[in-house]
Amino acid sequence: MCTNMLTSVNESIDALVIYRRGAPHPLLHAFRWKNRQYDVTATYLIHREKEGENVCLVYSVGCCRDTYVLRLDVGRGRWTLEALETGD
Amino acid sequence: MQRVIMHLDMDSYFASVEQQALPSLRGKPIGVTGRPTERSIVVAASREAKRYGVRTGMPVWEALKACPDLLLVSGNPERYLSVTKRFIEILKEYTALLEVYSIDEVFMDVTQEAPKRGGAVRMAEEIRGRFHEELGEYITSTIGIAAGKTFAKLIGARNKPNGIGRLDPEEIPELLASTRVGDVWGIGRRIEARLDRVGIRTLHELGHASEQFLKREFGVYGLHLHEIGQGKDSTPLVPYTEVPAPKSVGHSKSLPPELRDISLALIVLRDLCDKAARRMRRLGYMGRTVHCGFRVGSIGPHHGKQTTLALPANDGETIYEACLTVLDKISVKPEKVSNIGVSIGNLVPTEKTLCSLLETDQRRERLNAAVDRIRDQYGDRSIRLGTSLLVRPIPQHVGGFFMASDDLEVG
Repeated sequence: MCTNMLTSVNESIDALVIYRRGAPHPLLHAFRWKNRQYDVTATYLIHREKEGENVCLVYSVGCCRDTYVLRLDVGRGRWTLEALETGD
Repeated sequence: MQRVIMHLDMDSYFASVEQQALPSLRGKPIGVTGRPTERSIVVAASREAKRYGVRTGMPVWEALKACPDLLLVSGNPERYLSVTKRFIEILKEYTALLEVYSIDEVFMDVTQEAPKRGGAVRMAEEIRGRFHEELGEYITSTIGIAAGKTFAKLIGARNKPNGIGRLDPEEIPELLASTRVGDVWGIGRRIEARLDRVGIRTLHELGHASEQFLKREFGVYGLHLHEIGQGKDSTPLVPYTEVPAPKSVGHSKSLPPELRDISLALIVLRDLCDKAARRMRRLGYMGRTVHCGFRVGSIGPHHGKQTTLALPANDGETIYEACLTVLDKISVKPEKVSNIGVSIGNLVPTEKTLCSLLETDQRRERLNAAVDRIRDQYGDRSIRLGTSLLVRPIPQHVGGFFMASDDLEVG
């Protein structure tokens, strides 16, 4: 019947982002996880979540054939890799 | 000058957003649910699922019968709300006369702007192009264009999904003849049945009915029906800048089987009262009429009554106590309920109410203010009633993706 094809990770990561003039969100260019760099090849969706005054941006991106969900805690400037789905 | 109204409706909205976020869902029949269990309902079906007959509101077990390969996806209301805010920001660049009708539907009066952008159809194409570029290729919309809201919505529905439909004046007679009254926005089953009893089934027939008869049968609404039957629609657009004051504030919850026992349902009700009270305080209102009701069984009738408070209130405890009084008045005393809810009406702006001089009321007011400050800073889940810990936490949006209109504030 179902459903969740994502595998939960929830690990803190380093990210390389581009702040483009006029863009509503910083663009995620690449991130480093487990000593490996992942170059973002597609940004599928970015959405905003708010818990009290704390704002987070949730990125759903593609790196080659895999999909990664990452969270930017805007206030703390912290990136987390939340989940991934391999394209196999 | 004839108005040019656009009705923009996102296609299979929640499902499309999920497919945009997760490419592996694309091209597959998916159903967005509150909880992916057979007891849940489908709150949105992807266009692929719709081809199998899966519809919004369908119980999951029925949807799986229609489409055994259906993939169930837990919905993410914050994600949808965030995308809605984004597309509304885009639309605001086209006109300020924009009415946010729901999380996935918008009306726009583009009478002034359309000629400057090469006409309404070209403008609609441009909007859809912006959506494609800025929201993603899987989040599509359908735009209906006509001289009034009702007809814009109607012509849009005929061009779904991912289309643009324009109703020209010379096409109106054909549309009136081919449209059943029940297909028109605002004409519900009851009105349709009443019209059917007097032989009115199409808009054309509605337009030929006597105005006096419709007024006698349906009051002022009858005049609107007559106008629609004539192919006219003067329903005003309510721009987001002039959102009318709320008439009531309420919350209800469909309960999973493990919470249907009345004693547990009352704990959920206490939480709902708290939630409604907080919304009222945030909006700056107090209410006097408290309506409380429940449903027994998934398709059983709704049992509800109301009471009037001596003084307006926006405190969860006061509202809950009023609910208990209301429930006492209802003759049906079930052991289990499937849905429970509260609604507070007769709202007055807080600044127009008298301050209570009672120390207990003042203390409660200070407590509410402190709790609101904590929740504003750390989120609604940061502080909650101890009683709510007695029930297993239930997903935020079980049984439907309720979005309060104030969640959609776009000003």
